[in-house]
Amino acid sequence: MAKCHDINEDPRIYEKPNKILLMGNPNVGKSVFFSNMTGIHVVSSNFAGTTVTYTEGTVNIGDKTYTLIDVPGTYSLEATSEAEEVAIRFLNSNPVAVICVLDATNLERNIKLGLEIQKYNVPVVYALNLLDVAKRHGTEINVGLLSRELGAPVVPTVAVKGEGIEELKQELQNVLNRTQFTCSNCSACPSCQSCSRNELDIWSRAKYIASRVRKNVDGNLSFLDRLGKSMLKPWPGIPIALLIIILSLGVIVGGGKALRAVLLLPLVNNVLVPLFKSLFSAIVPEGVLLNILIGEYGIFVIGFEWIIALIFPYVFLFYVVFSFLEDSGVLPRLSVLFDNIMRKMGIQGGSMITILMGYGCAVPAIIGSRTATTRKERLIISAVVCFAVPCISQTGALISLFANFSPVLLVLMLLLSLVIMITVSTVLSRILKGKVDPMVIEIPNLLMPNAKAYGKKLMLRMKHFLVEAEAPMLLSVVIAALLKESGLLNYIAVYLEPIVSGWLGLPKDAVIALILGIVRREMAVAPLLAIEGLTALQAFVGGTVALLYLPCLSVFGILSKEFNTKVALAIGTSTVVTAFTVAGLINQIAHLFM
Amino acid sequence: MKGENNFNGSHQSIYNAKDNLQYIVVNAPELGILKSLGIIENAMIQKLMTHRFGGPVLIKVDSSEIAIGKDIAEKIIVRG
Repeated sequence: MAKCHDINEDPRIYEKPNKILLMGNPNVGKSVFFSNMTGIHVVSSNFAGTTVTYTEGTVNIGDKTYTLIDVPGTYSLEATSEAEEVAIRFLNSNPVAVICVLDATNLERNIKLGLEIQKYNVPVVYALNLLDVAKRHGTEINVGLLSRELGAPVVPTVAVKGEGIEELKQELQNVLNRTQFTCSNCSACPSCQSCSRNELDIWSRAKYIASRVRKNVDGNLSFLDRLGKSMLKPWPGIPIALLIIILSLGVIVGGGKALRAVLLLPLVNNVLVPLFKSLFSAIVPEGVLLNILIGEYGIFVIGFEWIIALIFPYVFLFYVVFSFLEDSGVLPRLSVLFDNIMRKMGIQGGSMITILMGYGCAVPAIIGSRTATTRKERLIISAVVCFAVPCISQTGALISLFANFSPVLLVLMLLLSLVIMITVSTVLSRILKGKVDPMVIEIPNLLMPNAKAYGKKLMLRMKHFLVEAEAPMLLSVVIAALLKESGLLNYIAVYLEPIVSGWLGLPKDAVIALILGIVRREMAVAPLLAIEGLTALQAFVGGTVALLYLPCLSVFGILSKEFNTKVALAIGTSTVVTAFTVAGLINQIAHLFM
Repeated sequence: MKGENNFNGSHQSIYNAKDNLQYIVVNAPELGILKSLGIIENAMIQKLMTHRFGGPVLIKVDSSEIAIGKDIAEKIIVRG
């Protein structure tokens, strides 16, 4: 409930002057407004004490600079979720204005939020977005009448095309130039009144306003509108979904390979490595140090090859595809189509989106699991991602590993990961206490993403990945170099031989994969690439160990942070045990037939 | 009470209700998200379809399309 004299718990937010809040329902296109109005310097932050994140940037209105805050989308301000609580706290933190984005295709509920915001005594400017979609669906809105009913300026916009943004800024400037009013008389503040203000009143008023301003016209659904509708039915929805998944894989793998072969590998092999080799050979004498720098496992040799030419192309292509699927509205439709399968596994359709994210990197997926409504669901999703979902770096390495053998290996690996996924999910849903809430989601319109918002999202994601993954990657390369040069590697190999060679049937050199795999997941595969004379079975067994093995150090860290150390250790040990057991069994059973 | 069009208001769950008809909500689970989306007592909703094999129910509330998992949909009682 809004209390206008509460000190906000996050002093950073409270003290920041000149805040403009960007609010609205989920899926109305707020991020498009945000990226259109802000520059390059955009920061993503966590609201203190919550799991809610928001983005902020700067915007110039007239000759003043303001902080624009993209508040997470909310359906209402009734504090029924953490996102709503954060929105309320933002409203109570003395912003100078609010931009409320309304979805013209969903007037009633959007107007309801618009009315609720007015309770907070902050100047509001409304943006009536998605007008083009509304028109196609047969709805026209009397904007002038809506503005009179709401008692505030309403700017018609089509954000994805950039239409109306300038007018919005103009209206904002008008509103901001007026005398600012502050909440000085608390007893008059509507928020301080009894909160049993009938919510039904606001709904009724919202429906009344919507019916008055809406006019039915002939609709003319576009191809995307019709595709969006048809994707919600099992036929043709499921074939379309499978097609999209296969196409995505094709773009990621094909694009990644092409980027690697055409641009990055030549860059590394012909430019970067020779450069550093000649540089260091000139200044460092022969010996251990030189080998660590540019030897076989040298930092500047392997570091470049693995990070730039092996991992980066696939990570980039993954986020290109995933961000597109997100912004276009495809993902919730996948949730609907596969909800029945997810239910049988003990989770729900919405979890699928988080799991798909894990195919990029487990860290944002585990953070993204915050959208799950119960702890049990969060745990199951995180465990599934750690056990059976290879991150894109690992997938890229696996594809390279299997490249010399039959494509059947890749298919078998995919099937194996699906089996493990179903097993882990089903087992955990039986043994963990608590429940998983069934799916309740709104289906957004299917649209072509806005290029600017998409580009910014992609850049932000790549930035996060490079910053978070770079250090562990370099660390593992350094460890590899040190182990090899100091001879420690051979020492450890002798100890692990019964497992590595006896049980798993792998050559001795594979030991380094096991050790490095603790630090980074693709490092559990990459060393195998260097082993000569690997058989198909050995490649598959090695790949299986890598797939099921420990999550990398960064994931360990995020598990400890999001849950606790106990969970991280539990997942760590069970993945190791599963990896060795399953891979070893595959090896032993295969040998029975050979 | 599957598929009965008794206009005196026989109650059934939205999960079993006939497709493409309008219904009035009699009783809905006390979930914040349902309330926020407008699925409350006396709200008018349109049923679109139910996905088979335990899949979700697709409904329309005013102009927004919402998918609700079976376990909750079965508890949303409607009449009409």
